[in-house]
Amino acid sequence: MSDMLPPAAAPPLDDENLLTEILLRLPPLPSSLPRASLVCKRWRSLTSDPAFARRFRLHHRRNPPLLGYFHGVFDGLPFEPVRFEPTLEAPNRVPPGRLSLQLDSNLRVLGCRHGLVLILDWPQLLVWDPFAGHQHRLAYPPGFDPDKSNGAVLRSAAGAGEVHFQFQVVVSDYYETCVYSSETGAWGSLISTPTPSGNSPDSDTRVRELQLWKRKTGFDGVASWEMGRTVELGKLFSMDSHDFLTIQGYAQDNNLVFLWTGRSVFMVKLEPFQCEKLLDTNKWDRYYPFETVYATVPRFVFWLPRCRNWLLQCGFINFLYLTVHVKINGLCCMHGQLGSGIVGLIINC
Amino acid sequence: MATREAGKKMIMLKSPDGMEFEVEEAVAMESQTIRKMIEDDCADTAILIPNINSKILSRVIEYCNKHVPTTGATGAAASDTVAPAALAEDLKIWDAEFIKVNRATRFNLIQAASYLNIKGLLDLTSQTTIDTISDNSLEEIRSFLSTKNDYLPEEEQTIRRENQWAFQ
Repeated sequence: MSDMLPPAAAPPLDDENLLTEILLRLPPLPSSLPRASLVCKRWRSLTSDPAFARRFRLHHRRNPPLLGYFHGVFDGLPFEPVRFEPTLEAPNRVPPGRLSLQLDSNLRVLGCRHGLVLILDWPQLLVWDPFAGHQHRLAYPPGFDPDKSNGAVLRSAAGAGEVHFQFQVVVSDYYETCVYSSETGAWGSLISTPTPSGNSPDSDTRVRELQLWKRKTGFDGVASWEMGRTVELGKLFSMDSHDFLTIQGYAQDNNLVFLWTGRSVFMVKLEPFQCEKLLDTNKWDRYYPFETVYATVPRFVFWLPRCRNWLLQCGFINFLYLTVHVKINGLCCMHGQLGSGIVGLIINC
Repeated sequence: MATREAGKKMIMLKSPDGMEFEVEEAVAMESQTIRKMIEDDCADTAILIPNINSKILSRVIEYCNKHVPTTGATGAAASDTVAPAALAEDLKIWDAEFIKVNRATRFNLIQAASYLNIKGLLDLTSQTTIDTISDNSLEEIRSFLSTKNDYLPEEEQTIRRENQWAFQ
């Protein structure tokens, strides 16, 4: 029997596949991969592989951390960038600059979900994947007034795990709803907007209590809604009689909502119930929680041993950076694609 | 040999060091690799599991025995009387005890889980490894994994600069 023994297998950490399996289970926090990449060159080369980044996001797709929030409305200054505000503590505090978007137009964020941001860039909608760098534009559906309708974006099943840039956009007003699918590249037909029975459409604009409803699916496969608990928020937030609550946005994987009392924005976790003040503001804005697994395709670094290298850092607009090592005589090697949006060139020697 | 015992189909697994383990087919099929062999009809005689010694193979079988679903003709009663949440909690406690092994054994279990394609065991062993190191400093991680720092100081500085926020 012993002569049938294949050669001894490499220890798991020398085996690329097994090391990948282990590293995939790093916590889905923004600092995980940058820190792991500093252990040794092999770990860096593994964790900076775009295929690894995709698997990492896929592995953690059910528990993406809340990285922070996007502002919805801006001060009205022309061409203000889409602004991101981190809420995690260091070392997981992603700098706002890595997740902002500057275009030569007035932008308004309409919502975030599944790591995508939906932006109104009238007369178009823009779906933006800040980490993968994808952008997709589509026309606002005809017949809808952007001031009287709202929009949402979600990754479609084909884009599960944030691997593929496949999504649906929903635009809805009080009466009608329209769904766009990136797979067909077209808006579907109008459907009437379902209104919760017993509630008028605007009944939630002045909520003082939070009702938690659960969706239940019976044995017959029929889904129904069941009211769970009620939380009296007026007392919790010490609100005056003229204050009212607005639901700003919610993060479905983290099971939390952002609520604005007119004076402060609170982050309310639903189960277990937990409440934390995010900021004080009496300014009308929208705050959209952004939850996703931070696994960008990192900057490319090409180590060229045995020659002194110059390091060029080319900052692309927003988020995509490319670091290239070039030989001092300049002969080698602008690896990678330099896009149109280069904003600066820093040379470190 | 594939045999029948008390109505359950049995299958023989052999380790390269000559040990034989007779296990229920359902238990062996927790391994997707073995399942495929059985389904492809490549397994009417004993199956040799290369690379996995008898000590590790017996631990793997122990894991599969515990994790094989208790549904079906013989196990229906068990799953009817125990709530799924309690069952999951029980498995979690069992897993935590099972994985209290030294580093070498854990690494061997990772290799075995990967080769035999047993997702639950791969999850458990890999996750435990990561949990052991993820709160440690870089130096501690390197020493735990016997990995050498092969960066030049300036290379390390460059990487830190790229994502300065992640090292604060």
